[in-house]
Amino acid sequence: MISSRWTPYLFLAPALAGLLIFRLIPIVVAAGGSLTGVSLMGDMRFVGLENFEYLMTDPEFWSSLNITLLFNVIINPLQLAVAFGLALLVFRPLRGVWLYRTLLVLPMAVSTGISAVLFGLFLDGNLGPLNGFLEWIGIGAQPFHRSADQALYTLIGIATWKGAGYWMLFLLAGLYSIPSTVHEAAAIDGASAWQRFRHVTLPLMRKPMAFVLVADTAINFLFFAPVYILTSGGPSGSTSVLMFQAYRAAFTFSDIGRSLAVSTILLAIILVIVVLEFRLLRSPEERA
Amino acid sequence: MQIGRRQFMAGAASMAFLGSVSRAGAQSTTLSAPWMGWPEEQVTPLMEAFEKATGIKVSAERLPIAELFKTLEVRLQARNELPDVYLVDGPLTASYAARGHLLDLDEMLSGDKDRFVPTTLVQGTYDEKLYAMPLGTSSQLLFYNKKLFAEAGLPEPSSDPEKRMTWEELLPIAQKLTKPDISQFGFAFENTNPYQLLPIPQSWGAEVLGPDGLTATGYVDSDETVAAMSWYQDLFQKHKVGPVGTFQTGVTQEMFGSGKLAMVIGGTWNLVGFEKFEDLDFGVAPHPYFAAGKPVTSTGSWHVGINPRTAHMEESKAFVKWLSTRDAMDLWFNLRKYPPALKEIWEERATTTFVDPAWEIVRYELANTATPRPATPGYREYEDFLKTAMQDIQTGADVKESLSRAAQNIDREMRKYR
Repeated sequence: MISSRWTPYLFLAPALAGLLIFRLIPIVVAAGGSLTGVSLMGDMRFVGLENFEYLMTDPEFWSSLNITLLFNVIINPLQLAVAFGLALLVFRPLRGVWLYRTLLVLPMAVSTGISAVLFGLFLDGNLGPLNGFLEWIGIGAQPFHRSADQALYTLIGIATWKGAGYWMLFLLAGLYSIPSTVHEAAAIDGASAWQRFRHVTLPLMRKPMAFVLVADTAINFLFFAPVYILTSGGPSGSTSVLMFQAYRAAFTFSDIGRSLAVSTILLAIILVIVVLEFRLLRSPEERA
Repeated sequence: MQIGRRQFMAGAASMAFLGSVSRAGAQSTTLSAPWMGWPEEQVTPLMEAFEKATGIKVSAERLPIAELFKTLEVRLQARNELPDVYLVDGPLTASYAARGHLLDLDEMLSGDKDRFVPTTLVQGTYDEKLYAMPLGTSSQLLFYNKKLFAEAGLPEPSSDPEKRMTWEELLPIAQKLTKPDISQFGFAFENTNPYQLLPIPQSWGAEVLGPDGLTATGYVDSDETVAAMSWYQDLFQKHKVGPVGTFQTGVTQEMFGSGKLAMVIGGTWNLVGFEKFEDLDFGVAPHPYFAAGKPVTSTGSWHVGINPRTAHMEESKAFVKWLSTRDAMDLWFNLRKYPPALKEIWEERATTTFVDPAWEIVRYELANTATPRPATPGYREYEDFLKTAMQDIQTGADVKESLSRAAQNIDREMRKYR
């Protein structure tokens, strides 16, 4: 009989092995690789912090860092708000609410690549149906992802279209987990609908919201496919997020070391921000 | 729907097993060949003819142009036995050869070099050795839709290179052929690649890269280049005669074929490519130029090279050697109409194919105005940044700013070749 002390670890072992092999080891390898350079003939050598020094003096890197931060400052709260709004809407036991829920979750089933291609056609300046519609109602055609002013927001829109329904599911589950007795007690005490939402629902939704925000942040910092497919970082570098810079360094300029340096910086940024988000969404009891 | 890790592992294991079986038990070798994403009927017949002649199969992986370059970069950097053979864009020969990704073909083709048109060998040569065998060269023509010209009551442009249009003459014609209410545009270049667009600054008199092949600042962003590219931007932003945001060859070809675009500058491959549009009646004229400058046309084309690490060296050599034969090159010409690399094909077809006005123009351009893309080991980086800048310029970005930024970025990336 195996000692019960080891039993939980044995059960956890397969998952931990997966975490180690597919997550932690690649991170260590990437961090190590960011300190190397490859010669033209493919010989790898240790270069210390050279790749990081290069990035510090590269205006493209700084502009890309700004774009990545701007993208995330907008998209993460936006997706959380939209997802929460949708969750509240479909939480009510309306007739046929299952249909709305299904519709909202549907974009999740479309692969990122395909949705980017579809949006490319939908928003196209010459042949796209959306511009036909905008002209018809008098707003006039918009350049969308073909203009430096609108491209980043177009991508935020596409990502939110795809992501909001998914995050809604978690928040909906959170809403269901709030015991109805709490609401009833508040109602008996004379709390208005708004007061119940503000002082009962919101505090009890902290945990699911923290999870959604953190998971969403980690995903959005790694946002890549629509950039690659729709804009290639343009126009005028306006959508050149760090993931795209990392990709370009590796596969266009054959500089794996620099690419890994960008990824390592990205990882560090995500870690800092996720820690901050967790702190922000801690309940008052935990804070004390 | 994502594939679970378990299914993936099972799939990977069975693939590896099948792979090893086919390697061990196969009668004939299959060469792995990343290829351009041309229509299948322009690729498969060539591979089938080779298989018929030698019994060696070629698995040509057809990839869109940008994917082809990236795929090659990833695979070649892995420095293993794949791919066996691959398509090399002429100006990239130096980049691949300098990094040891191409086999020196000098010895193998020593007896054949005289059969090639000398200029076609230049871009496949690095350090005075032939690393990539030319499959042809290229030239650009002005294609125009005869029906749309007739409708607008415009005379068709002359096909005589001596009477070629200036850009200044082309603009009012393009304006007359632009009808926004029915989404019809007057003029466009086939795509936004430097290959296609460099003749604009070059015709204005600009040098597009420093004489050392590694300096972009002062060339890519010179006053001449800025002025010429501002003219290009005006076509789309001010005069609105071209469709903004159409960066890809396929889209402009489709627009021209369906009568939504009256004139397009494109390669000779369109002579066969436009055949699929049944209602299209088109003519060709020489590439326009700036009145104050000189006529310049793009040239250079696809070459084929061998990965020096291939596990199928003899078969790969056989493939390249076979491609150099008259029959293979003749077949290739029929499939995609690149101006031939072999002198004998030019001679054989002199009184048949090449009496066509289109080929009269091509002959003239290749002899007089054809200007290859800059020779530099950093052509990949150069092309990537410049293409981005050209797309930004088309969609309305500040011309000087876009080109300066591209020049600085190119110079930064070129440092490693100094």
